[in-house]
Amino acid sequence: MKLTELFLGILTAVGGFVDVSELVFMSQAGSRFGYALIWVVVLSTVGIMVFGEMSGRVAAIAKQPVFNLMRNRLGLRLGLITLIASFVSNLITCAAEIGGVALVLQLLTGAPMRLMAVAATAAFIATVWFLPFKWIERTYGLLGLFMLVFGAALVAIHPPWGQIAGGMVPQVPRGLSTRDMIAFAYFAVALLSAVMFPYETYFYSSGGIEDEWGPKDLGINKLTTIVGFSLGSLLAIALLASAAQLFGPAGISPEMVGTVALQAGVPFGKIGILLALLGMLFAIGGAAIETCLANAYSLGQFFGWRWGRHRPPREAPRFTLSWMAIFVVALVIVLTGVEPVELAEYAVVASILVLPLTYLPLLLLAGDRAYMRVHANGLLSKTLGWGFYVLIVVAALAALPLFLLTSGGQL
Amino acid sequence: MKASGSLKLVAGVRDLQIVDCEECNCGIVDDIELKGKPGGPLKVAALVVGPGGYSARLPGWAMWIVDRVAGRSAVKVPWDKVENVTSVVHLNVTAKEAGLARAEARARRLLPGRG
Repeated sequence: MKLTELFLGILTAVGGFVDVSELVFMSQAGSRFGYALIWVVVLSTVGIMVFGEMSGRVAAIAKQPVFNLMRNRLGLRLGLITLIASFVSNLITCAAEIGGVALVLQLLTGAPMRLMAVAATAAFIATVWFLPFKWIERTYGLLGLFMLVFGAALVAIHPPWGQIAGGMVPQVPRGLSTRDMIAFAYFAVALLSAVMFPYETYFYSSGGIEDEWGPKDLGINKLTTIVGFSLGSLLAIALLASAAQLFGPAGISPEMVGTVALQAGVPFGKIGILLALLGMLFAIGGAAIETCLANAYSLGQFFGWRWGRHRPPREAPRFTLSWMAIFVVALVIVLTGVEPVELAEYAVVASILVLPLTYLPLLLLAGDRAYMRVHANGLLSKTLGWGFYVLIVVAALAALPLFLLTSGGQL
Repeated sequence: MKASGSLKLVAGVRDLQIVDCEECNCGIVDDIELKGKPGGPLKVAALVVGPGGYSARLPGWAMWIVDRVAGRSAVKVPWDKVENVTSVVHLNVTAKEAGLARAEARARRLLPGRG
């Protein structure tokens, strides 16, 4: 195992952890409920570690990506329903990310948002066409580390560390009205969904196959998912905690992507805002590419096409046409004028509905000794896997009613 | 599982990835065509690849949508072109020889560049 590879892998996971939905929901949750939802972020991070590690292990040992598995284990009917649902959820997420990037570019340049959305999409298409897979992942992941300014900003505003630590203990704040209680439950489900977005698993396992992982890479897989996702999660917690400290007492609800950047502006002034916007640009940009490729991977794997960015674009033509078309359709959604934050809200609800169907075949195959041999799920993976599976099923059942009852958290 | 051996579970082969002799993905087993006579042994005749293979597996309304989106084309790959079946179905011929390269070729023509 090369140390540099491991280091870069972990940094990439950190830089790529946060996307537009997390930015928005972490800040809104912090502003509205203080530190009381930090435990949901911690719990969801353990969940994405468990399923991320599992999907990487299945890619390395059984050499099967998620949608191959899904087709094989769920069959055509249920597999097709999952494909369509996850395609729609990823497409909305991709549009939200493109819209988020366009808003950040608008703040940086002053140019119209729609023009920036077109420019960003053209840049993403060029990136995916010309750059090898590893460099796509690393460029956006590493430049996304500008987001660390949010961590530094939290330290600089001297938050109540005791209360932040207290937020890691599962709790429901006392004295909430019924209305606030429903909103609290909605934010809990939304944060779970934003951290455990299904595209992350599709992209991660497909990446493992692109990089030709084998048994020797299981260590990198474990460390990347545990260390990388933990550090990424700390960044997300920093966003939530500084929103709790700065926005909550002032009664500000960060409805705009740009408002989030102010969290770094308070302690560090203009340079803080600039670093925050650059970090957001690359973190959200990376997520736009990941969601788009995750959709193209899903199609390629479900229908058995040649797929992957390790091949030149013309050697996987249906896959290449797919990701190009997905970018264009996502751009069209943004150009209709729907707010990126609104899209992010739809995306988290759509995603949580897909999660149970995504993770079931993964759990089944990762535990199958015929395929995974000695690398099949052990007692810990099995217990955590099924425990989180029950949790996401409950969250999926609650998501839509909560979304409707709270009008997307506006209640 | 060897292609010449007895194939007990048709369901085990359906929905598996097909890989040609050059290790390129070239489709999924969408259905299986069987041959045999009443009272006689039932044998696998061919793998059916393409949306036409969904017709026995999807309800009519869903097939109506598939028909409009992807058509009803299907390629039949004779069973003797199957080398072996593991977690994927390996062919002993290229995708082109099996008739499974047409859709990729059509898509390639839509992409910029030459070749």
